[in-house]
Amino acid sequence: MLNDLQIIEGCARHERRAQQMLYDKYSRFLLGICLRYAGDKAEAEDILQDSFLKIYFSIKDFSGTGSFAGWLRKVAVNTAITHYHKNLKHRYHIEIEEYVSIETGTSSFEESFYTSEELYMVMNELPSGYRMVFNLYAIEGYKHKEIAEMLGIDTNTSKSQYSRAKAVLRDKLEKLGKLKNSY
Amino acid sequence: MNVRELFRDKLENSEVIPGDSVRNELMRKVAIKEFMLYNPSRFNIYYLGGIAAAALASILIITSKPDVIKNQKEEFKIENSKSLDTLSSVQPQKQLPVERTTEPERVVKSTSNKTVPKISEINYSVKKLDNVVIDNKKEAGSTVKPDSLKIKAILQNKVSDKDNLVQLQRNIGAAFNVSVSGGCLPLKVKFQNKSTSYDSCHWIFGDGGFSNEKNPEWIFDQEGEYKIILKVFNTGGNQAITSSVITVHPRPVARFETAPEKPIIPDDDIRFINYSNDAVRYKWEFGDGNYSDAFEPDHRYRQYGNYNVRLIVWSSYGCTDSMLVKNAFSGSGCFIDFPNAFIPGSGGPAGGYYSIKSDEAARIFHPSTSGVTDYHLKIFSKLGIPIFESNDINIGWDGYIKGQLCEPGVYIWKVRGTFKNGEPFVKMGDVTLLKD
Repeated sequence: MLNDLQIIEGCARHERRAQQMLYDKYSRFLLGICLRYAGDKAEAEDILQDSFLKIYFSIKDFSGTGSFAGWLRKVAVNTAITHYHKNLKHRYHIEIEEYVSIETGTSSFEESFYTSEELYMVMNELPSGYRMVFNLYAIEGYKHKEIAEMLGIDTNTSKSQYSRAKAVLRDKLEKLGKLKNSY
Repeated sequence: MNVRELFRDKLENSEVIPGDSVRNELMRKVAIKEFMLYNPSRFNIYYLGGIAAAALASILIITSKPDVIKNQKEEFKIENSKSLDTLSSVQPQKQLPVERTTEPERVVKSTSNKTVPKISEINYSVKKLDNVVIDNKKEAGSTVKPDSLKIKAILQNKVSDKDNLVQLQRNIGAAFNVSVSGGCLPLKVKFQNKSTSYDSCHWIFGDGGFSNEKNPEWIFDQEGEYKIILKVFNTGGNQAITSSVITVHPRPVARFETAPEKPIIPDDDIRFINYSNDAVRYKWEFGDGNYSDAFEPDHRYRQYGNYNVRLIVWSSYGCTDSMLVKNAFSGSGCFIDFPNAFIPGSGGPAGGYYSIKSDEAARIFHPSTSGVTDYHLKIFSKLGIPIFESNDINIGWDGYIKGQLCEPGVYIWKVRGTFKNGEPFVKMGDVTLLKD
């Protein structure tokens, strides 16, 4: 097994073996990110493939300073945003029909109560616009102003979408919680 | 722990295993992309292209050599005949029509060839024009072209000066009209060729497309400024060129959504959130006969119904786009749902009062609702005997009849009522009573 630096150098030379090693080492980590931005696993895998293509062909852009995983994460997030823009018009009409009810509350959640799979599932069910904003703000830690620029929306839209996304997630988690408790 | 912390802690660095096919498909895509990429160290499309170009070039060289020789011979012949002929000698004119079909191409070639002496070129075109006159006379004496008339007139004046003869070439001029010189995407433009004295034309549309039609139509499907070039040619080997610019403006994009997600109509004020791009003017049609031209209007509907909401937007160039959402509020915020099981407490009748918080252990059979105004619930035994009734949404069934806990098993429920928006509902289902 090569270390990160050797893998990076190998990929820069377009060596197939280094590319495969990079995939084996980081595909699970990156799919974990992509799945948060996607509507389902198939879409997440599409984003993953595109991310790897970008990584392989622009690995020279990685400055070497800062963490390699952080750079990979950034590429995956940007690819997810590109996908979102591509599918936007098409998606939107579906979202109208898939309205979800919002009940606002201030419940607190036990971390150990929900599995990652359940959280992914809840996340995948979000309307895509909410999902983008929630991920970028709550998990990636971007500011609303940055998110507005990335998604081509207004800063206030980002803020309001974030709070609505939170409300929908809270509602879904509560419902899921009730369901789990009833077993 | 709040929602944000929960997701951040659990999902920030969580890993998901991709499907088996993902890796193979990715490697295939990489191979294709690398093939398209220039890289001196491996075989790729540039090598392939290079090989193809080299092959094409060698074929061209081989096939064009005899042509060159032939051309040279012909030039030689022309020069020879020049020395022989006095200007209006009949002999060469009669000979020329035989060769005429192959002539135009040769003219182009010989003029582009720098080694041809100027004199022979002039001489050559004169013969060619004489020939045209003769041809016209032969073919259709009734429709003599103005050009040839002019030539004839000059000929009758017996102009013998070689410099004047140059003017005998036909006056070719390129010009065209367009149906529109600019507009919104996609833009269809009709071109009308107004050129004079030409035999063939070639249009270049500036977006990579071209046409040899006389009056072509073209659709521009990308924004930008396009330089339209028209070249016209005649059989005399002359050409003329003209150009014009067509401006294609982008369309704005109309996009919106409504909030809240599931409004209760008519109670809720509905916010229309505008996500449009490149627009400067907006018009909202709410579907109930009301309109607004605000950027993000609020609107309240008077009664529940199916409304088609349309947003029309205009860009600064006057281009429009619209988005229509049919039955925008069809999934209204009202619902009523029942669980399929409950566990009555064994400590005696509970009375049926419940709240979502108090009934976490599912002791009371009750619905989860929103926007219910009128409500009537009946519970039946399996045999269809009514055993419980409630007209109060806050009172569910505690599992007891007349102070006695019912047997565990399946019971039937039926509910009817109305939602806030006036929509009636009737639902029926079964529920399993479980033993505590």
